[in-house]
Amino acid sequence: MGLELNFNLDPRTKIIILVILSFMVFNDMSLYVSGILVLIPFICLLFSNHKKSALMYIVVYVLAKYIQIYILPTATGLEAIILITFSYTTSRMLPILMMGYYTITTTKVSEFISSMERSNIPRDIIIPVSVVFRYIPSVYEEIKSITDAMRMRGFGMNIKSLKNPLKVIEFYMIPILISAVKTADELSAASLTRGLSNPEPRTHLLEVKLTKVDYSLLAITFIGFGIYAYNFLRGVLIA
Amino acid sequence: MEDVSFRYENNGNAQNLTDIKLNVKKGEVILLCGESGCGKTTITRFLNGLIPNFFDGKRQGDVYLGDDLISEMPIYEISKHIGSVFQNPKTQFFNVDTTSELVFGCENLSMSVDEIKKRLDCVVNDFKIANLVDKNIFKLSGGEKQKIACASVSAVGPDILVLDEPSSNLDSKSSWDFEHIIKKWKEQGKTVIIAEHKLFFLSDVVDSIIFVKDGKIAEKWSIDEFRNINHRDFGLRQLNLDNLELKRKEYYSNNQEFLELKNFKFNYGKNQVLDIDDVKIPKNEIIAIIGKNGAGKSTFANCLCGLKKSCKGELIFDGKALKRKDRLKKSYMVMQDVNHQLFTESVLDEVLLSMDEEDVELSEDILRNLNLIHLKDAHPMALSGGEKQRVAIASAIASKKEILIFDEPTSGLDLKNMMKVSENLRYLQSLGITSFIMTHDFELICETCSHILHFDDGKIIDNYKIDENKLKDFFLR
Repeated sequence: MGLELNFNLDPRTKIIILVILSFMVFNDMSLYVSGILVLIPFICLLFSNHKKSALMYIVVYVLAKYIQIYILPTATGLEAIILITFSYTTSRMLPILMMGYYTITTTKVSEFISSMERSNIPRDIIIPVSVVFRYIPSVYEEIKSITDAMRMRGFGMNIKSLKNPLKVIEFYMIPILISAVKTADELSAASLTRGLSNPEPRTHLLEVKLTKVDYSLLAITFIGFGIYAYNFLRGVLIA
Repeated sequence: MEDVSFRYENNGNAQNLTDIKLNVKKGEVILLCGESGCGKTTITRFLNGLIPNFFDGKRQGDVYLGDDLISEMPIYEISKHIGSVFQNPKTQFFNVDTTSELVFGCENLSMSVDEIKKRLDCVVNDFKIANLVDKNIFKLSGGEKQKIACASVSAVGPDILVLDEPSSNLDSKSSWDFEHIIKKWKEQGKTVIIAEHKLFFLSDVVDSIIFVKDGKIAEKWSIDEFRNINHRDFGLRQLNLDNLELKRKEYYSNNQEFLELKNFKFNYGKNQVLDIDDVKIPKNEIIAIIGKNGAGKSTFANCLCGLKKSCKGELIFDGKALKRKDRLKKSYMVMQDVNHQLFTESVLDEVLLSMDEEDVELSEDILRNLNLIHLKDAHPMALSGGEKQRVAIASAIASKKEILIFDEPTSGLDLKNMMKVSENLRYLQSLGITSFIMTHDFELICETCSHILHFDDGKIIDNYKIDENKLKDFFLR
């Protein structure tokens, strides 16, 4: 697959798709509708240097669906409980998680700000949200180094930590919270000295535009969502 | 161009700044120095407008930029004239990719897209960073991050640059690179004000030095006067590293015991980042691990501690071959960000957590020896950086670790605190512990270490008893 096929969506498209996909958690829907919606994160990941995650995602999803349709009806007992938990959480949550992963890894903070400004969303909302965007990769690094620190103190995948699961969570949370506060503080100071609070509209080196790809993916999503909503409402009305 | 000068007076409370009068002429390079907490950073905050726009406090007196009062200007207006670079490269970037970061200031000030493109090309050229454009900032080295920070501040075109300890995370080569950046600014006629502990890379570029003590300006020197004073008398780091002498030319214990590392190898994908066949290192010494950023030092430290699963190497220690899990029990790393390794609610708990059988008396002994006993009920997160480091050391002693690894224990420390770290290391040595220190701090090595491991490109290229000439070759080019 050549690189020239890669595309990057407008952050607005990503967020709209993410929100619509989230509806899938609430309701089970017919296979052909969910099939369409499930393919959207797959396509996005496939054409954006995340080919490996795209393939893993689709394999796990198909597996979960397969279990749900062919194995569950005959399963019993503990086995059934495990399979139900796995297949239902996966088939409902995974597409949203993957879409979220895609949104966060492929959106530049400045693209995000610029597209939000185009939609006339107030600064007071844009700036805190973009700080969160910026902070996510650093949380990942911190979790890694806290995990290392715990392993050197004898907390790892072992009995000592299984005995005190709450302690382990606390040990993660305290350093993360402390550093979150510190980071937020220093980050705001740094961005103030760079003129972020200027009330005039910002200019943007990278112009974000809705392209054909954006429109087609949005169209597919809306059609899928439309069918879902139609079925759902009909179900409600008949009942 | 207007004639830029500052006048700055403040009569705040005694703890902060008192009666600071400072005139900076256009085009001057000024160094602010003094002990940690002396008020250097506070002065820089006045200059870049973070006081009063971001930090609250009682304030008297005024700061002028030309004829304008800085405290009356909105902060985005100040940012057109005064650019700031901060200490921590992790938290001064708003963007995740370098290009957006370079133009971030310009975008905020609503410059036209053509103008921004022109300025972007210009700084990329000036700072020779074409290779860093369009990269993920998290993947850059500390030196590269600071270059991006300087370039992005420069892109806005301020007349004045305020730098707050910009070099504390840099290796010696990146520090020298930083000297070039300041020289460039000086050539362009910009005013540079820099607050720093590390002085060696500044001796050729600074015009005058201001020594701050307890919130007051205690001394003012020209660079020639400054070269001739005894820096230690003022609690300052060395200006000319050539003057430093080794303090520990002989091994601590001459019993000829060794640790042996066998087959330490590690790959990231297809890249081999660590490649050690067989190395013997004297036991119970303080060993400095030196090398450029990215030479494989931290990978080595992680493998030595047993944190990397795919590293199959063995450590021969007291005649036993220690595999990864055994090493995890025997060794401990004091991280650069100590916050990540303190978990409990009091200093005493922190030590008790490390013991198999909780023993309060023994813990208190350990704390007493590390001068922490008066803090035993304090929350670890409320302590100062040096105290936190000592708590981490205390917990390592409590869990009977025999190998300690320190990741940059003295970055951003003044002379006094650096000497304390050195004392702690010697105390550990007296307990029979072998310490490894990953460091760029030549002064610390002179004070403390007796053996050197020199890394380059994932390999140990030199393994020697401390030697002044070899070290100076590395640190002073």
